[in-house]
Amino acid sequence: MKRVMRGLALLAAGLALPGCGYNTIQTQDEAVTGAWSEVINQYQRRADLIPNLVETVRGYAAQEREVLESVVEARARVGSVQATPELVDDPAAFAQFQQAQAEMSSALSRLLVVVENYPDLKSDQSFRELQAQLEGTENRIAVARKRYIDAVQEYNTTVRRFPVNLTAKVFGFDTKANFTVENEAEIAAPPQVDFSRPDTTAAPAPEAEPANP
Amino acid sequence: MPRIPAAWIAAFVWLLPSPVPAAGAQSEVPVPRLERRVTDLTGTLTPAERSALEQKLAAFEQRKGSQIAVLIVPTTGEETIEQYGIRVVDAWRPGREGVDDGVLLLVAKEDRALRLEVGYGLEGALPDATANRIVEDIVVPRFREGDFDAGLHAGIEAMIRVIDGEPLPEPERTVGWPGDGAEEGWPGSLLTIGFILVVVVGSVLRALFGRLPAAVITGGLTGAIAWFLVASLLAAGVVAFLAFFFTLVGGMPGQRRGGYRGGAWGAGWPSGRGGWSGGGGGFGGGGASGRW
Repeated sequence: MKRVMRGLALLAAGLALPGCGYNTIQTQDEAVTGAWSEVINQYQRRADLIPNLVETVRGYAAQEREVLESVVEARARVGSVQATPELVDDPAAFAQFQQAQAEMSSALSRLLVVVENYPDLKSDQSFRELQAQLEGTENRIAVARKRYIDAVQEYNTTVRRFPVNLTAKVFGFDTKANFTVENEAEIAAPPQVDFSRPDTTAAPAPEAEPANP
Repeated sequence: MPRIPAAWIAAFVWLLPSPVPAAGAQSEVPVPRLERRVTDLTGTLTPAERSALEQKLAAFEQRKGSQIAVLIVPTTGEETIEQYGIRVVDAWRPGREGVDDGVLLLVAKEDRALRLEVGYGLEGALPDATANRIVEDIVVPRFREGDFDAGLHAGIEAMIRVIDGEPLPEPERTVGWPGDGAEEGWPGSLLTIGFILVVVVGSVLRALFGRLPAAVITGGLTGAIAWFLVASLLAAGVVAFLAFFFTLVGGMPGQRRGGYRGGAWGAGWPSGRGGWSGGGGGFGGGGASGRW
């Protein structure tokens, strides 16, 4: 009787061993770090495009000082937040990073809306190239974020489920930060569509379409 | 056989690892099966046109090694063409593994949208600006006129010209099924080797010294090695117990196949060998989209 019970206990321990998940945690931790590095990489790529973009727009639309300056400021703020692999372990710093990038995004979209009023600028070859690069980079950022979210989701799930969470506690692995939806309230509110065009100093084409989102 | 207390059975079952329930997928447009280089789900191209395109793409792959795939769908549903495109290339993986020289030309006919999805390895030859120019200046005008075949041919020729200028690794002579992805996870194979070693050593020692001493020696040795590798007393202790138990119980269980052996893991659609498959190329979201 005792032998059977002991045997069963050992067997249970043996079967639980692969479930203890130490190696799984390691693999997924590395996957998260890799995905995060890619995200930072793509954000950096976008930040590198900004100076060129600002100069090109300034060549045609120097009077749009406010928008151009907000883009330059947002870029400076993005540069000030140190983007390192350790950011995923610090939720406060991560949120700060996300905030800075979100402000960059909104400054850029405002700039592109303003550009709609300048058909010369829109047809300029170097601006078209920059715009293509910017769109490509935004897509790369989206893909990198999606892959990061998937990696973090897998890692967090592993670290929180029983029995692997015990192993995680023993070795000091904690859940990692994930992207939240920015401006949840703003997104939930329906968009305001306004077709009235304010007086601008530059002469807009009379049949210009309303600014596309 | 004495009755085993129910509590023991419950504890035993409870400790078994449980399967993870799969998350439900939303209603997305499914990624079609990859069988050929040009997949047309809208009937836009006649069979003759399609095979002409495929011949061009096959010849290019033979010559350069880079894989270009074409997919025409009616719509990408609720997703943007970029989101759908990245799902397609993540499943199809055109381009060679490691070289990542694949391109997907995706057309959503009813959405009037198209996209060039460019692999990592071609981002030097086909950067976003060039892809944008191909889409806007070459393909879109022809699509506007309704001439899809001409648009596809012209776009592909432009891409071929650009990629030809890029130095890429020589293609394999046989453009067929890529080699079995022997993706041996290092820890996986180590565990397998370790397990086999323990069993072999254990049975040898058992023959020499009898059950209990052999079990003790094997357990001790395995625990020591595990502690050396992982530097955790807990892990070493558990591993030692395992080795002890298996040596005690005896017999030579069949060779266990652990690790990620076999199969074309990460090497495209594992359908029948007759069709064409992707080479495992990686994509990062680069490329350009356009509307007509």
